[in-house]
Parts: sequence; C-alpha cells; structure tokens
Amino acid sequence: MRSGGTRRTKLELLVRQDGDDGFEVRRVPSALAWLQLRPQRVDPATYEVAQMPSRVDGRVTFVLKSKLTDRYVLLTEPERFLWEQMDGGTSLQEIATAYVLRFGTFDFDLIPALIAKLRQAGLLTLRPSSRLREALARHRRHALLRGLEAIFHGLERVTVSSRRVQPFFARLYRAGGWVLFTPAAVVAGAALTAIGLASGVPLWQNAASVVAPIGRHPLFAIVVVKLGFFLTLAAHQVVHGLALIHYGRRVREFGFTILHGFVPTFYVDVTDIFMASRRARVVTAASGALLHVVLGSVCFAVAVHLSHGLTQAFAAASGLIQLQAFVLSLYPFCFIEMDGYHILVDALGLPTLRHDAVRFVRHNLWRHVADGRVLSRREGIWLGYFALSVVSIGAFIAFNLWTLIHVITG
Amino acid sequence: MASPTVVSFLRSVSLFKDLAEPHLVSLAPRLRERKLKKGEVLFREGDPGQEMFLIRSGSIIISKPITGRVEQVLARMGAGEFFGEMSLFDQAPRSATVQADVETALLCLDRDSLQQFVEVSPRAAAAFFGTLVRTFIQRLRASGDLVAEVTRWGLEATGLDVENR
Repeated sequence: MRSGGTRRTKLELLVRQDGDDGFEVRRVPSALAWLQLRPQRVDPATYEVAQMPSRVDGRVTFVLKSKLTDRYVLLTEPERFLWEQMDGGTSLQEIATAYVLRFGTFDFDLIPALIAKLRQAGLLTLRPSSRLREALARHRRHALLRGLEAIFHGLERVTVSSRRVQPFFARLYRAGGWVLFTPAAVVAGAALTAIGLASGVPLWQNAASVVAPIGRHPLFAIVVVKLGFFLTLAAHQVVHGLALIHYGRRVREFGFTILHGFVPTFYVDVTDIFMASRRARVVTAASGALLHVVLGSVCFAVAVHLSHGLTQAFAAASGLIQLQAFVLSLYPFCFIEMDGYHILVDALGLPTLRHDAVRFVRHNLWRHVADGRVLSRREGIWLGYFALSVVSIGAFIAFNLWTLIHVITG
Repeated sequence: MASPTVVSFLRSVSLFKDLAEPHLVSLAPRLRERKLKKGEVLFREGDPGQEMFLIRSGSIIISKPITGRVEQVLARMGAGEFFGEMSLFDQAPRSATVQADVETALLCLDRDSLQQFVEVSPRAAAAFFGTLVRTFIQRLRASGDLVAEVTRWGLEATGLDVENR
C-alpha cells in the first residue's frame, strides 16, 4: 500500500455550463479527491460489533462482523474510533484531524490500511463527495444563481500562499516575537485591555456624537476602517504562526484566500500544533484573538484622548470592530470553525462537533422528540451547541442592527 | 485560385509535410474556413461527421462526456494540428466533443474534397495517408498512456489497495 504522501496525479475535467456553450476546465488532483472522500459504514443492520477486553494488558479490542459477507475484522481502539467517524458525511481530512485531536499522534498508513481491511470485508463504501461533485449535483436553473456560483468558484481559487514560511516566522520570533509569549506580555496586555475598556465607557456614552463625523463621509470611512481591520487579520494569523514557533512546531503554510468565495482572509496552517500539548493548542488558538482585544483597547485609549473629529471617530469605530473580532474569534457558538470553536472541541474531545450537531438536529432530533426518548450526554452537547449557535447568530445580527439604528438616529 | 496564406499555412502542417508545393496549391481551394468563438462547441459526440479539421490558429479541447455536465478532457490541440478525421473514414458518428478553448480558426476538408484530391493526385495522397497513419499510431499510444494515467488517478484517489487484495 502506498502512503498518502505519494498521491499526485491530476485528472482534467471539463464542466459545461447550462444553456450555452460556456465551460470550465478543472484539474482535480488525486490527493484532493482522496482527502475529500467520505467513507460510509454499511447499514447498521448488516454488521455486529463485539468488545473483547484483554485481561493481560487491559487493552480493549473489537470484533466487527459483516452479516452479509460473514467476514470478521479485528479493530483496535483507535481503529474503532476511525470506524465510528466513517458516517458518509465526514471526509478523510476531517477524520484524520479528529484522530489527531483524540490520540495526539498520527500514522499516515493507518487510515488507508483500515479502509482496505473494511472494504475487503464488505463493511465500507466510499463516496467521493468533493465540492465539485456537490456543485454538479445542484440545480442551476436560475441564471443569476448560476452566475453567482461561477463567481464564487472563481474567487475561491484566488489563493496566494507560500509553503516556505518557516524561516520567516523563525526570524520574526527571534527578532522580538518571543516577547508576546512572556508573562510580561500577558500583564501588559491585561493592563492595556483594562485601560481600553475604561476608555470605551465614555466613548460608548457619547457614541452618537463620537461617530457622527463618519456619517459625513460614510463610504470613505467604511473603506478605511475595513482596510485597517483587514490588515489586523493578517497580524492575527502571524501571531498564530509565532505561537507555533514558540512551541517548537512548524508553520507549514501562510497565505491569502477568499473563503467560501466571498470572505477575503489570511490564513496560516497550524496543523503541526496537533503534535504539541493541549495547552500549546489552546495558546495558539487564543493568541490571534487576543491581539484584537489589545488592538481594540489601544484604539479606544487613543480615541478617548483625541478631540472630536474624523480621526477620533475612526479610532472608536476601529476599536469596536476589533472587539467584535475578538468576540467572534473566541466565541465558539456560531457554526463557524474559528479559534474559539477549536478550543471548545479540543476541550470536549468532540472534533466533529459542528458537523455532528447539524446532522443530529436535521435528521434525528424530531425522531427523538416524537419517541419521547431522553437525550444522551453527547446528544445534549450537540443540541446545546446548535441552539446556542442559532441564538448567538440572531443576537449578533440584532445587536448590529440596533447599533446601526442607534448611530443613525443619534 | 489558392490563397497564398492558406498554402503557406499548409506547408507548416505536419500532415502535409511530404506534399510538394503544387499539391498544396491544388488542395488549398478545397478547404473551407470556419471560425469558432471561445467556448463554442464545433460538434458533440454522436453528431454525424463528414469532415476533418485543421487548426489554423487558436486551440481546441477534445472531451468525452462522463456524467451530467462533466466531461473528461482527452486532448488539447493547437495551431497546425488536425482532428475529426475518424468520421471522415469510418462514416460513424463523432466519437468525442470538440470545443474552442480560445477564439479559433479552422480549415475544413470534407469527404468529397478529399476524394477529389486522391483522384487528381494519387502520389500526393499516398504521402498524405502515410503521415496520417503515423499520426494515428502516435495518438493510439497517447490513448494508452491516458488510460494508464486515469487508472493511476483512480487508485490514488480511492486508496484502493490492489497489491494486497
């Protein structure tokens, strides 16, 4: 069996558009197809699992039997974990991530070997479910939606990145980045935050008059504030990278992309932090977000000392946006897998929480309610995550609308 | 009267490399020009075919339907290359779909014109067919390579362990 690292063949596919002669050629690397595969366990009615505790070393193994092929497969505890993830909706990439979060290590041959074993026993089917396939399965009857989808597809491919960034981050760390991870930096950050929040109180009390100058140049103001915020997003990712260096791990990639076709963002590949301790993972995840609270506090502290005018309004608005970014980054209940979400799933040991929660509510919750069944602890967490996320998104939209109305109406 | 630019182009086409100047001059008026806009489909798999095409400028993509709106790209061809000759000889429907990758100019040679060319210049026709057969052999080998490549893609993408089955 070849290892995962050797997959490199590309297939060239022509995808035709509806109704005209337009088309698009897409190159799909085999490695991408492999990562996006969604292995699907066979119907639960067609297999049995038996637990076999060992009295010698205390380890537990499992025997999986296919009722259709009458074949038996012996699974170790980690293999059984992988088997449980193979629900047809979770990709191999997500399964591998879940495995690392659960066991802290990873063997690149483990998943292919298990898949081969399960397929031989007739216990598994593979569903290639890439975005391309999903997009093709979608109906494209409306020209507008078709156009939008084409734009999103095009934008999604706008990615500028480098995989040779480790030396850059190492130099940056040595040149002073290390200071961010000292107790002194934590104390200074906390002090700045306190000062910033104290400065934010009078600004908030006079919010209407403070931000009024922005209303006189709305377009210019929005562009400048957003541009400033965009640059801090890059800094956010740089801090994540520095955290990796701090814990002796490797920064695999840094770049810019347009997420989901409409959210321009910077990103850094922090996969290597999975090989470090949980504390390292939490610090790495939180460090980027903490930058926003510090920057927001600085903005407020500056704004409160400025005289009334456009500069003060810019500083105050930027401070508010930075604080929102801080909350959004660390707040896990919003269906977006941001820093706070990663901390939460790490703490819960439920790496596919969002996916499982959405699936549970969509497919199983009503059956539970109809049957009057009590939720298990895990199902309770899924439902809690889903409910909190829905409420939080609603509250976020309402708060922003209220702020907007508050500012406009003075 | 043959256009000098068409004759000059034919001289650069490998398919006609063994033809003397007078034969190119006699062939040129039999060719009909056809232009394709970017993305325009020239013919689809299953369409009836009566002619072969020389690419004068631009490039085309040859593809074969796989599922829904997805087609596998079999080949790309550029200026000086030719395609569509299979239907010319076996009179069967088109075996693949051809579309313009960019704005493309083609020269079409239909079955009747080829027949006339063969009758008028049998020695030139023999040279023409000799080159055609060599091109067929190259394309047959390329098809074998493509089959192997697609099989490798399938094995890599599915992680199928053939060695240990």
